[in-house]
Amino acid sequence: MSKELEKAGLPVALISAMFPVAQQVRANRIVKGVSIPHPCGDPNLSKELDARLRREIIQTALKALESEVKGPTVFSPPVAMGG
Amino acid sequence: MIKIVHVVNQFFAGLGGEEKAGLAVGVIEGSAGAARGLEQKLGDEGKIACTVYVGDNYFHEHKEEALKAILDAVGAAEPNVLVAGPAFNSGRYGLSCVEICNAVANALGIPCITAMHEENPGVGTYREFVNARIYCLPTTEATTGMSDALARLARFAIRLARGEEIGSAAKEGYIGRGIRRIEKTDRRGATRAVEMLLKKINNQPFESELPMEVWDDAPPAPALARVKDRNIAVVTTSGVVPWGNPDKFKTYRNTYWRKYNIAELKELEPGKWEAVHGGYNVAYMNQNPHYGVPLDALRTLEAEGAIGPGKLYPAYYVIPGNQGSPTVMRRIGQEIAADLKKDNVEGVLFVAT
Repeated sequence: MSKELEKAGLPVALISAMFPVAQQVRANRIVKGVSIPHPCGDPNLSKELDARLRREIIQTALKALESEVKGPTVFSPPVAMGG
Repeated sequence: MIKIVHVVNQFFAGLGGEEKAGLAVGVIEGSAGAARGLEQKLGDEGKIACTVYVGDNYFHEHKEEALKAILDAVGAAEPNVLVAGPAFNSGRYGLSCVEICNAVANALGIPCITAMHEENPGVGTYREFVNARIYCLPTTEATTGMSDALARLARFAIRLARGEEIGSAAKEGYIGRGIRRIEKTDRRGATRAVEMLLKKINNQPFESELPMEVWDDAPPAPALARVKDRNIAVVTTSGVVPWGNPDKFKTYRNTYWRKYNIAELKELEPGKWEAVHGGYNVAYMNQNPHYGVPLDALRTLEAEGAIGPGKLYPAYYVIPGNQGSPTVMRRIGQEIAADLKKDNVEGVLFVAT
């Protein structure tokens, strides 16, 4: 799906915990998600920290959209991610 | 002697070209048109009970009636095998061959074989059907390969009619359907895996027992300058939908997408949204839908100025991605892209589970 969006000229920041698969299927802008059932955040964190982590992930995704890439590139949110 | 029904379009039945593409289903006793060629290749091992034809346009414009008439004709003839095509690079014909094979195999339990060029759109549908009773042989693009295609169809049809064991796609030369076959071997998995790995390390040819889907390369779309001035939308395969699942998504193999309004919302309240998806544990997503549609973070970034005012698209796009076939997902991607472009969206945040 994401590749069809890219083919239409829309840059896609793909937020996924399965970033090796995303690389393998050659998505171009890949943002590391936390885990498969909760890519945007971590229920093990406090509410505040969870919200902050989610903000970091989305900010990283926005940066990915601003970045020129030549092929599959993984962007990591600048925070340690728990379990 | 093996009995075969051969399905062809109006052209290969010898009835006419494009001007006859509206012809309804008809039955000719014995062989006509391309079926004569097939009968020759069968030699004295088989005969054509009847030739069933349908116009290329008629089939697609009256699919239900066409399939019903074809099923009636095939059912009455009671063949051992159904042959459709070869369709070469003709799109409508290729698609109808595959759909007819699928209908006959499912309704009558008769093994079916067709043939077409690998770029024919019918091949995509054939792969989508994943029907163990249908085989599709590759052909040339143009009809110059007719004689060879008919010869291979005849050989394959005879083997199918005799109930012979058909091996893997790689071995038998049909187009792979993505069906995992169970084979007996006296060499255990670990041994085979290590052997394969050693071959790979030594750059020797090896054959995977489970080939992966081949993905085409999309060149990266150009980056967005000043992302805060750009229209951004959220697309997700997480399956987060309004509570009650109003559009009745299934937990797997969905074939359509929806978009849901978030224009007036600051956040997604738990209990008003749910995740419909059979491929992961949805408990976390149900407790906090932001794990799939991070609206709270987007509003925060909007307030901070990282996303310009009014730049977040007023709806998010969703399909539960579980077991989506690549062909369907490509189409969904194309449809969503068209919808986004119509509303001048410039970049996509895609949350995949």
